[in-house]
Amino acid sequence: MDVVFLFTMVVGLLLIGVPIAVSLGLSSMIFLLAFSDTSLASIAQALYQAMAGHYTLLAIPFFILASSFMSTGGVARRIIRFSIACVGHMRGGLAIAGVFACMLFAALSGSSPATVVAIGSIVIAAMQQAGYSKDFAAGVICNAGTLGILIPPSIVMVVYASATDVSVGRMFLAGVIPGIMAGLMLMVTIYVMARIRNMPKGQWQGWGEILRSFSDAFWGLMLIVIIMVGIYGIPGITGAIFTPTEAAAVASVYAFLIAVFVYRDMGPLAPEQAGGRPVSLLRKPQALVTAFFHRDTKNTLLDAGKLTIMLMFIIANALILKHVLTDEQIPQQIAGAMLEAGFGKIMFLIIVNVILLIGGQFMEPSGLIVIVAPLVFPIAIELGVDPIHLGIIMVVNMEIGMITPPVGLNLFVTSGVAGMPMMRVVRAALPFLVVLFVFLILVTYIPFLSTWLPISLMGPEIITN
Amino acid sequence: QCDDGEVVIKFSHVTNTDRHPKGIAASLLMERVNAEMDGKACMEVFPNSTLYNDDQVLEAMLQGDVQLAAPSLSKFEAFTKKFRIFDLPFMFKNIEAVDAFQASETGVAMKESMTRRGLLGLDFWHNGMKQFSANKPLLMPDDAKGMKFRVQTSDVLVAQMKALGASPQPMAFSEVYGALQTGVVDGQENTWSNIYGQKFFEVQNGTTETNHGVLDYLVVTSVDWWDSLDADVRDQLATILHEVTATRNAESFKVNQEARQAIIDAGGVVRELNAEQRAAWVEAMNPVWAEFEGDVGAENIAAAQEINTMY
Amino acid sequence: MSGHTHTYAQSSLGRAVNTLEETALALILGLMTLVTFVNVVLRYGFNTSLIWGLELTLVLFAWLVLFGISYGFKITAHLGVDAVLNMVSSRTRRIMILLTTVACLIYALLLLKGAWDYWAPFAGLDATTGRWFPTGFANSRDQAWYETEQIPMLDWLRFIEPVFNQGEAYEKLPRFIPYSILPFGAALILFRLIQATLRILRGTQDSLIVSHEAEDAVDEAAAMSRKG
Ligand code: NA
Ligand code: NA
Repeated sequence: MDVVFLFTMVVGLLLIGVPIAVSLGLSSMIFLLAFSDTSLASIAQALYQAMAGHYTLLAIPFFILASSFMSTGGVARRIIRFSIACVGHMRGGLAIAGVFACMLFAALSGSSPATVVAIGSIVIAAMQQAGYSKDFAAGVICNAGTLGILIPPSIVMVVYASATDVSVGRMFLAGVIPGIMAGLMLMVTIYVMARIRNMPKGQWQGWGEILRSFSDAFWGLMLIVIIMVGIYGIPGITGAIFTPTEAAAVASVYAFLIAVFVYRDMGPLAPEQAGGRPVSLLRKPQALVTAFFHRDTKNTLLDAGKLTIMLMFIIANALILKHVLTDEQIPQQIAGAMLEAGFGKIMFLIIVNVILLIGGQFMEPSGLIVIVAPLVFPIAIELGVDPIHLGIIMVVNMEIGMITPPVGLNLFVTSGVAGMPMMRVVRAALPFLVVLFVFLILVTYIPFLSTWLPISLMGPEIITN
Repeated sequence: QCDDGEVVIKFSHVTNTDRHPKGIAASLLMERVNAEMDGKACMEVFPNSTLYNDDQVLEAMLQGDVQLAAPSLSKFEAFTKKFRIFDLPFMFKNIEAVDAFQASETGVAMKESMTRRGLLGLDFWHNGMKQFSANKPLLMPDDAKGMKFRVQTSDVLVAQMKALGASPQPMAFSEVYGALQTGVVDGQENTWSNIYGQKFFEVQNGTTETNHGVLDYLVVTSVDWWDSLDADVRDQLATILHEVTATRNAESFKVNQEARQAIIDAGGVVRELNAEQRAAWVEAMNPVWAEFEGDVGAENIAAAQEINTMY
Repeated sequence: MSGHTHTYAQSSLGRAVNTLEETALALILGLMTLVTFVNVVLRYGFNTSLIWGLELTLVLFAWLVLFGISYGFKITAHLGVDAVLNMVSSRTRRIMILLTTVACLIYALLLLKGAWDYWAPFAGLDATTGRWFPTGFANSRDQAWYETEQIPMLDWLRFIEPVFNQGEAYEKLPRFIPYSILPFGAALILFRLIQATLRILRGTQDSLIVSHEAEDAVDEAAAMSRKG
């Protein structure tokens, strides 16, 4: 079969070490040249339109940028302080605080690796100082960081919405309950382990510290409110102010302003030496202009730009593959074969999970979603699976893919921030991986975890296609 | 799957295959071509923007990667400004007048107005007449003042909203429901079948029956491809297309009336204008005509008005 | 952000080009953000909008990525799977890496042909003939009249009208301008890949993908925690 040839080529190129994007794009081009009359120019068109023709994907650079400003701008540090004040005194408290901090940061950032970097680079070291083993610390953060794509906003949800034409706003809402649930499950697991292994606990620092740390983190946490109110509005007070894509751009600008003018951890008002006091805007009013051209601003923009390019190169080539598959009417053939085989809803969901779990071993999540979503979406609709529910199942699968070798973005990043070999991170993450598996089963077979919130806030779903 | 030796005709469009008037027509066309032209030609339909959206499909057609498409008339702006006549507010009295205009000499000439740029119009497919919906009652043009309306990206539609003192907001069709529901925009203009099919009425205060504009599609093909076909294949394809067009266009009025009734049955509000109110809308939006007279041609406007008098 | 990226020893011209690339990328992303933000403010606060804002942002998005891909190859920032590479003998590894450069070069060449064929008619030029190997030039139908949907024509660009549009005035920016990033970006990708291939042959570069060896990644982590 032609399509077997295509997928073999993709996997073969991947395994010999060809960049993921090139493996997808080159296989598509060869397939197109061999089996159809469609021109190479259509590949160039698909590549350009991957960006210029996908309004929803525009949220990706913006959410990455917001995340970069928050990590460099000291928001993560303040969130961690607040988290420790809240739950640090419990047994295993610092680890639980780490998960809590990941959940909060996940609510600001759209990406899992970004969450690991922002929280992990501080918490892992702090946990070691407090007497936790490095492995335990790395395992906790590596897992909790995956919440970055489940708790809204989420880049992977944006990609799913764009590939299947469901509403981004609905997907974001659908992630709230599962996200909180996954976070709680991790916390409970840590607490139980901590009781059994008698792990350290911190000091209760009093309500005063909770209040102080909250007011210090307030400007960062406000962003959650801005994003949610902006996208959904407040019933009776204001309608929505912007689309999810615009929310991402507003978040970037807000994070920039907070980082440069309020926290002043970066930019022209940053302390001149480490640990010093930031400069007052009154003393340096020209910062209002120079902030936009400051080195720190440029570097943050460049960092976010690089990550955008890396992700979008993969997504764009995955879209080329999708284009070629569509052109040869492959999704219809697969859908037809699956329906003919008489698969029911349950069997279908198991197959989807297996495909994604295997695919997640090799592929970066957004690229995988772009390829798999159009293949399974029509079957899901036919079988009466809710598209939002399907999306959440896919996201949870992607979370698992991020902490399993050989390609696991969170593994790479954790091994980086913790300074540990990757295989040691894999072993460290294993116990919590079990938690995520249980969670995946729950999410798969209890649809209302995903669908209840969007339906009660945004009304019943309409499938427009 | 096409057999060897058959002319492959790829038809790419952006709607579903079984509920939207365009999707239904495309499916019917595919069925008939594949049954009646078996061995000579074979049609593949790519619905739901899976292959190309309306902006990309015309480029792909000139490139030779797709053979048929049916974008809405405002998508041809880069090729000809003549179709702006269909966007001009209150240019046509009703869909019968539109039909007669398109069948007239002027209408037929319009289909061929893009040949120098490589596209040939084959047939007009109706969706229907456009209505305004909004999150508060619209009875007089003044009611629209200061409101944000989603429009297609078209200069005429932008000018039309500005003439009302409203603020035009371009936005992807797939985002409109969410934007109306959450209040990112206050209103939109569309045909009954779209307002019902996309459930816009659920998130609007009501729909005002203005019939102020036309939402139509043009089935197009590339001149180079069309000329490359054997005469008998070309003639048979054109004949089948004309028959499908006649059948489906005759249905379109009924489809829209059914959608209108379905909205009322589902609890949606439909507001009719009395003669005085209607005259106020016509007057408020009339300056737009002069603005675009140069683009569409005074003689074409005159032809349209002449036809209006017969309906 | 994950893994380790390299910058190779550079001449002063190399450094200047590097600054230019990095500034351009930062500037494009900054512009995209500002245009989108300003449009939200205009709509919510002033009930108006830049009608071309969205299309311009999308064009900038395409430019950011298509211009940046070659930069990604230059600093070896693209993701790949190195699990097998790290398991095999160094001889096998060497062969595999040479195969990856061949695959990438073919990709870049095909992309360049596709990009040229797509863009050329929009600029009034001829696409190439041949299914995958350019065998000559076709007599392509001129599409230089093809304008963007909303982006206004810039007055200082009017000098191109006699060249491309037979003297007819453009109302909107013609499409060949935003689309020019396709052949330009593809050519840059090919160029950076040839450079990388030469470095690999000389032994000064290891592979075309981000290395995830923990030792390498530690530097990166250190750099990140300094920032954060
Ligand atoms: Na998130
Ligand atoms: Na994985």
